Amino acid sequence: MSTVPGRFEQVYGEHVVGIYRFVYARVGNRPDAEDLTAQVFVRAVEQLDTTRERGQIAAWLYRVAQNAIADYWRAFYRLPVVGVDHVAPGWEPADDGVPRDTVPDERASVRVQTLLGGLPDRYRRVLELRFLQRLSVAETAQAMGISNGNAKVLQYRALRKAALIGDGADG
Amino acid sequence: MADDRDPGAERFERYLEALLAGGRPSPEDVASGDEAEMARLAAEIAGAVSREDTNPDPAFIEQLRLRMRAADAGLEAVQVPPPLRQRMPIPGRSRRWRLSRRQLLQGGIGAAAGLAAGLVGVSLAPRSSEQVPTLGGDADLVTGDGFWQEVTRLSDLPVGAAARFSTVAFEGFVVNDGGEVRALSSVCTHMGCTLQYRPEWQDLRCPCHEASFDFSGKLANGRRTWRENPYRGDARAYPIQLPDLVRPRVKVEDGVILVWTAQA
Repeated sequence: MSTVPGRFEQVYGEHVVGIYRFVYARVGNRPDAEDLTAQVFVRAVEQLDTTRERGQIAAWLYRVAQNAIADYWRAFYRLPVVGVDHVAPGWEPADDGVPRDTVPDERASVRVQTLLGGLPDRYRRVLELRFLQRLSVAETAQAMGISNGNAKVLQYRALRKAALIGDGADG
Repeated sequence: MADDRDPGAERFERYLEALLAGGRPSPEDVASGDEAEMARLAAEIAGAVSREDTNPDPAFIEQLRLRMRAADAGLEAVQVPPPLRQRMPIPGRSRRWRLSRRQLLQGGIGAAAGLAAGLVGVSLAPRSSEQVPTLGGDADLVTGDGFWQEVTRLSDLPVGAAARFSTVAFEGFVVNDGGEVRALSSVCTHMGCTLQYRPEWQDLRCPCHEASFDFSGKLANGRRTWRENPYRGDARAYPIQLPDLVRPRVKVEDGVILVWTAQA
């Protein structure tokens, strides 16, 4: 699709790390982040007009990434996957072309800290042990002096509670 | 709390285990919209905690860059034979093949890698040998000019074994599937990574995203087959369905395994 040789590779080099991080912050694991990143650029090499200005290119790439992420989660919600061509509602990029949370690292960790801070002590504790310290269920259970089964249930309820709070915070 | 166990917690834990181990979590472990919301939150928390995974793997970036470069290059000028299944010689021309962008993305890099691997330590079989029945393989995969290339001896390929080979056009494995010899591409049909033979599972495994192909060239740990027959090598299904591996023709002659390869 490029009209200038090497132009697409330049676009790739400028954006691939940003797109990966953007995706990673939303799927939380490397294999899926790599898959979705590849999906974005496979579509870009076929369809992106690389003669457009930088901001428009970034907007296009992040839009495709958002759609790919939306599709990824649709599978979890048991909703039909609609393909990266669609425009996901409510995911409009900001005026400068790049979504406001393109650099999610700080923003997301602040949001996560806020979420954890709003939870009852035991809920916060179980999530900190599992997610921040990456302890196993057994180690978490031991640290909290409860059974493995109870640790799983506690963690489940903590996430459910946090999901409810998150909903409220987002409006 | 022991008395009001949450039945969803046990299953949902499988999603979390995969996520926190840095693996690929499965939607199968998430039962409802509420749990999807929790899964999404868990992914966001996991993604916000600074770890090695937060930054992309340089090998991944480089591999994808090469794919993109090849896809973006002037494809009509590509003179590397594409994967055998997709090859269509242009009549009356020099040996050039036309490739669509998508075909190149799907397999071109592997073919190029096969070409680069070249002819090392192999001998060529006589060009016009009599017709010997082929074992396995897809007899009509490759037409046009080519020759039989020796890859290994049958005695070196016991039942359940696989051996790597390279030809000018192709890189693959010959496998002994319960006495039937077959040749399979070693290029994963997902992103073009090179498959590894795992003797303990008798499969060809992709190091990039853990797809496993059986000795017939089909995805062995895919979700579609998982319900009837969970794959013994993995705890959960590979999430995407992938096309079969390309299978060139193969035959055994005087105890020698030969693979049909196109002329470069």
